[in-house]
Amino acid sequence: MSNPWIAIGALGVVAVAIPLSMMAISSLLRPRVPEQGKTTTYESGEVPTGTPRIRFNIQYYMVALLFVIFDLETVLIFPWTVIYRDAVSTAGLTTVLVPMLVFIGVLVVGLAWAWRNGAVRWVRTPRRELTTKRES
Amino acid sequence: MTISETLAGALGLGAVNPLEDFVLSLVGAALVGTFILLNTAVAGPWAKRKITAAFTDRIAVNRIGPFGLLIIVADAVRMLSKELVIPEGVDRPAFDLAPLVLVASALLGFAVVPMGNGIQLADPTVGLAFLFAVASIASVALVMAGYASNNKYSMLGGLRAVAQNVAYEIPLVVTAMSVVLFTGTLQTSEIVAAQTETLLQLGALSIPSWYAFVNPFAFVLFLAANMAEVGRNPFDTPEAPTEIVAGFQTEYSSVYFVLAYLGEFIHIFLGGAILATVFLGGPAGPVLPGFVWFTIKIWAFFLFTQWCRSAIPRVRVDQVIEIGWKGMLVLSFANLLLTAVIVGVIV
Repeated sequence: MSNPWIAIGALGVVAVAIPLSMMAISSLLRPRVPEQGKTTTYESGEVPTGTPRIRFNIQYYMVALLFVIFDLETVLIFPWTVIYRDAVSTAGLTTVLVPMLVFIGVLVVGLAWAWRNGAVRWVRTPRRELTTKRES
Repeated sequence: MTISETLAGALGLGAVNPLEDFVLSLVGAALVGTFILLNTAVAGPWAKRKITAAFTDRIAVNRIGPFGLLIIVADAVRMLSKELVIPEGVDRPAFDLAPLVLVASALLGFAVVPMGNGIQLADPTVGLAFLFAVASIASVALVMAGYASNNKYSMLGGLRAVAQNVAYEIPLVVTAMSVVLFTGTLQTSEIVAAQTETLLQLGALSIPSWYAFVNPFAFVLFLAANMAEVGRNPFDTPEAPTEIVAGFQTEYSSVYFVLAYLGEFIHIFLGGAILATVFLGGPAGPVLPGFVWFTIKIWAFFLFTQWCRSAIPRVRVDQVIEIGWKGMLVLSFANLLLTAVIVGVIV
């Protein structure tokens, strides 16, 4: 059994070589006709206004934070799933399952909190928020 | 059995040293890359048009070659020879790198996918984790493209892509974990081997223990999360042609557009390959050789995405987030714990 990462590295080389060779072929084939207005940013044919480098709403940050927590959780659950079957046959069901139930339970409580606080909701514009408040 | 070992056996080489292994793997990687490119070449310019046309009662390409198949060649030449327009104000290195990262990351995923008897490039013990890790690099490329383009539509597309991938990555991985509970390993070849046993014997017909049959609930969840992960209908909000032009690829032209498009198709096929490996017995199947079955399975997933594209309306971006965080996430954890209990009781 050889080291599998050698083969993965080989595919990595090929995976970068394919798009690079396509770029090379294209640069030999394509024309270059610079014209006024060609390089304008596309905005449905209008003259572009303002900058697209807008600020993110803070709620976006909340979703990202939640993702990091759950992603870490999956990293911690993965080893558990791998040994689960063997562990159950040697240590019994409750000893293996209950700690994980507690662990996931804690995170579910976290999710419920985030849910209640509206962190897992697409960001609404302040104006829209105002109208919904007025309606209710 | 990896490709380099298969090649070494075919060439009559005994034990190979790392350098020989690398050279043989490079040949294998070139073959795998060619196979994937061939699939995307058929899928992109030809099959996608034909399928959509069939759904909407049209004929589509039929002028060049038999069934219009030579449109693939014509389109490849046409797209590669377009002028490359770099819009003003783009963030240069990121703008150029994004299509490259998109294609390369999607291709790299195929390294650990078993494609047939002795056709698997590498078989590390962390195979499945590697697959998911590599498959999600694509969202980095989408953000790079979205931010670097200096375009509002691209920016929105990039942001939507992250929000979506972030919301569906966890259900995807957690659902796959419920399969790992059965197999007890992350090695892709072992996961495939575990699915060769017979689940049910109905007369002469024996149903294999593919996890799609053993754990159908997980299969449906995984399929839905996979659609979101590869950004297809009903979850194609990052592109959403009727809302934000073309999302992150709005400003891309010429070869960059080809690469962005190619990356998406490779990603669909990678999604199909993950689905086949984890739930559909990998390259297993009756009569035909494993490689053919693998091809059939990834094409089945591709056809499914195209079916959904024609048949299912796009969900709104806020609905995407709600379905992901409030529906799929809770369901996937419920599935994981339920599977854990069932597996624990059976063992």
